[in-house]
Amino acid sequence: MSDIGQDTLVRPTPQTQASARAAARDRPGEAGRSAASWRRTARGIAAQLSVLDVLAAVFVLLLVIAIVAPRLLVGYDPLAAAEGHTLEAPSLHHIFGTDYLGRDLYSRLVHGTSATLSASAVALIVGLVGGILLGIVSGYLGGWVDSIISRVIDVLLSVPGLLLSMVIVVALGFGAVNAAIAVGVSSIASFSRITRSEVLRTRTSAFVEAAQHQGSSRVRTLVQHILPNSLGPVFSLIPLHFGGAIIWISSLSFLGFGAVPPKPEWGLLVAEGRQYLLAAPWLLLIPGLVIVITVLSISRLQHLASALRKALS
Amino acid sequence: MTSTLGYLGRRVVHAVIVVALAYFLTYWVLFALPGDPVRNRLDNPQNPVPPEQTKVIIDYYNLDKPAWQQFFVTLGRLFHGDLGYSLGTGRKVTDLIAQGLQSTVLLAVLALLVAIVVAGGIAILAVFVPSPAVRAVLRAVPSVSLATPTFLVGLFLLQVFSYRLGWVSAIDTESPVSLVLPAITLGVGVSPSVTQVLIHGLAEAKVQPFVKVLKAKGLTQRRIVGRHLLRNGSIPALTLFALTTAELIAGSVIVETVFNRAGLGFVTEEAVRSQDGPVVLAVVLLVASLYSAINLLTDLVYPLVDPRIVITESRVRLRGGAGSRRERIAGAAA
Repeated sequence: MSDIGQDTLVRPTPQTQASARAAARDRPGEAGRSAASWRRTARGIAAQLSVLDVLAAVFVLLLVIAIVAPRLLVGYDPLAAAEGHTLEAPSLHHIFGTDYLGRDLYSRLVHGTSATLSASAVALIVGLVGGILLGIVSGYLGGWVDSIISRVIDVLLSVPGLLLSMVIVVALGFGAVNAAIAVGVSSIASFSRITRSEVLRTRTSAFVEAAQHQGSSRVRTLVQHILPNSLGPVFSLIPLHFGGAIIWISSLSFLGFGAVPPKPEWGLLVAEGRQYLLAAPWLLLIPGLVIVITVLSISRLQHLASALRKALS
Repeated sequence: MTSTLGYLGRRVVHAVIVVALAYFLTYWVLFALPGDPVRNRLDNPQNPVPPEQTKVIIDYYNLDKPAWQQFFVTLGRLFHGDLGYSLGTGRKVTDLIAQGLQSTVLLAVLALLVAIVVAGGIAILAVFVPSPAVRAVLRAVPSVSLATPTFLVGLFLLQVFSYRLGWVSAIDTESPVSLVLPAITLGVGVSPSVTQVLIHGLAEAKVQPFVKVLKAKGLTQRRIVGRHLLRNGSIPALTLFALTTAELIAGSVIVETVFNRAGLGFVTEEAVRSQDGPVVLAVVLLVASLYSAINLLTDLVYPLVDPRIVITESRVRLRGGAGSRRERIAGAAA
């Protein structure tokens, strides 16, 4: 639930990335690689993957299909009510059962994927852009600008994310987009902190000094030299924050501050299922499990990405 | 000593600035942006406010004056202990919060105990169980519980223990028994970060040379873990205390909604639902002050608990070459 908890999961390793980059520079062109070496690389990647990684990748692939072409996966209309088929238990016709209006839960879940994940993507982009901008300004300019921004970040950190997003929801009003923005704003602090510390680290390194001595302007130094070498650890936080955003977005919709019915958003599905806890527990458990598996799979992708990076560099 | 006092002074000033900024920013976001909650209440076509009351409200909030004057009037009232009136219910905000606080504090304290037991248990097992497979599974527990929304845990417990097994009444919210499921839900919800830090701390303490000495002295594994490693390894978890407290209050919004308990979280949820600015502002002020106060307290207590840490002129620093664990934890928490 917490940013901090998530941050402790990932230890950004700028050193390893820097050395990887250096190694990549030393090697002559990629074209010189033979087929055998490619095969070896592929085997190297495969050796690092566990069964869980593969399952996670397959699940994420399914999610992508559910977003791009939900019709490939389902035969029912997610909004079509069917009288006489309400609250049916999972069966061959409706593998996840039906809800109180007779709507097929499986197709609602599949069609709801884009609602939940696009809201999470909006949240991620808001947090990323806001955090990186604040972090760059505060780390690169320093001085009183840095002090002010750092105090504001302290404030953002002193209010827990869920409460902070609720404050912003009160200001902006309810709705899927507003909830997404609110969740995004509450993740600005942690992105900004890490960007700032990376910019501070890179700013004082020898190659930046060298660039400055060669007459590189401030903006050019920032864009060409500092940014490419600072953003790696920031980007490595993306899968975790994306997972966190999914949970917060669905929490806000669960409380009724996010997406509006009859939209099949996942948190809303859980909230609707809550009313039939006794008669139809699958209405609650299945959407809940989908949320958990999605978040876990996405954070697994991090392992996959780092395995790929290690193997290819 | 003077440097310690100076450090203390600076930390207090810093905490006060953060709380004041939190208040100011929240006020600005809630009241000064278009969509001011008081105006919304006045202009609500479904529930019109009688004209004579409108005048009272405009006078009370100084709506005919510029925004900065309104802010200072509200701030002045704050210093007199007046947090204003709820826009939804018309009751005093201080009353609303005082009423909910007792139940939520009780819930939060119990949940904290649950979190400590859960985190401690999982961390000890995850570090000291001989089987590597079991250790790997246990180390995955924090990420799985991070991936599980709190409302889901609560509804699941409610489903199993109230509806299926009938052990706890789902309607009763007064008796002490009714606290069990909410406390477990909230405790499990805030435990993952504590578990991670504990696992890290214990694993780090385990490989330090003093463990070999203790073993050579002939101490049992149980005693080494219980008396020496647990003390050593749990110090970093102390830095999470403020954060966990703030999270307990924020998490109570969801837990109290799921279990229909009347507490601060429920008050907050209702306030957000009815866009009740004064109540939301007061909750933010409360949580931010609590967070800053506990954070300050933890930093001051830290050197007492871990004597390797000394307060220097500029900041807290580790004495000797034991590795800058404190700073790394602070960095991870940042």
